[in-house]
Amino acid sequence: MSENKILFNTGSFDGISEEIGKLTSNTEESKLKLTPDNADSGLAKLVLTLVELIRKLVEKQAMRRVDGGSLTDTEIERLGETLMKLELKMEELKKHFNLTDRDLNLNLGPLGDLM
Amino acid sequence: MIYSILSSGERTEKLNSLLVGMKGIAGADINIVFFENISAIVCDINRIKLVADQSNAIAYAGVIETLAHHFTLLPVRFGSVMESDAAIIHMLKKNYNDIQQNLLKVENKYEFGLKIFCEPEKLKAELTAKSDANAKTSTSPATEINNSVYRDWVNKKLKEHRFEELLVTYVDSVISKIKGDLDQLKAINKFKKIVTTSMIIDAVFLLDKERKDLLVETVGELQNQHAGLTFVLTGPWPPYNFVDFTVK
Repeated sequence: MSENKILFNTGSFDGISEEIGKLTSNTEESKLKLTPDNADSGLAKLVLTLVELIRKLVEKQAMRRVDGGSLTDTEIERLGETLMKLELKMEELKKHFNLTDRDLNLNLGPLGDLM
Repeated sequence: MIYSILSSGERTEKLNSLLVGMKGIAGADINIVFFENISAIVCDINRIKLVADQSNAIAYAGVIETLAHHFTLLPVRFGSVMESDAAIIHMLKKNYNDIQQNLLKVENKYEFGLKIFCEPEKLKAELTAKSDANAKTSTSPATEINNSVYRDWVNKKLKEHRFEELLVTYVDSVISKIKGDLDQLKAINKFKKIVTTSMIIDAVFLLDKERKDLLVETVGELQNQHAGLTFVLTGPWPPYNFVDFTVK
């Protein structure tokens, strides 16, 4: 973005450029690049991204229920154990396939990032 | 490749003179495909040269930007390619009504972008402090009693969840304020919330060209009311985010 397109800004131009630059680099990283040479890791990335999305949705819903006060102490304890183990398992899988949190996302074009 | 569709009407001479010497992606000449009172701005390009890189994106945007100063136009997505002029004419004919409706919507209007940044840690501290102050007057859920590693984990996640909820509520309140203040400008708006940890709002507005100064003034006032945030207003842009039809 050129400086003459900025109509109002109380921050620094460099700061904005840096922030927008981060968005562009995220877009590049979050593209699914499947080629014959990386079919295994590409597929692992795709599957783990979807698993991570579902895990986060489940976790969010669980926290809503905990916050709502509709669960007993025993239920919260079991929920905590299950979700914590799921999180640890995901960490193991990410390590196994050499993936980071930033890799587990998909750029959906005009819709933005999946997560 | 198609750059844009514009309302040329009777001003074909003006359009022709604008395009003389204008170069597009990979230095290609820019041409016009006419259909009734609308025109597609195109260039012949080899698909191999059509790489979505920075220089091509700038060349593509440059053509649209120049034309947008003189004509009402609909930018076409980068990389939209058709086989021949005949195919383009067929497309223009088939989508004529949708194109006309969209041209009418963006006539005499520009797009402006508003990005709002925060300092994530500072905002988190502020919102959490406010929330804690409120919590002292209400009953905390029983879940905050610690007695196991799993309960600790739930409490940690619960804190994060509550902060996310606080942030969404806060961002919604800022959006609502912006929408209220922009009502007087009759702007059409679109908002994206929490794009990154520091960009909490990414908005685009479509409004009359002559209301640009009023918009800048309004954003200045909004900035004064939200000292912890940084408002960045950009534009004017061609209406990239307000073309709303799918080619049949």
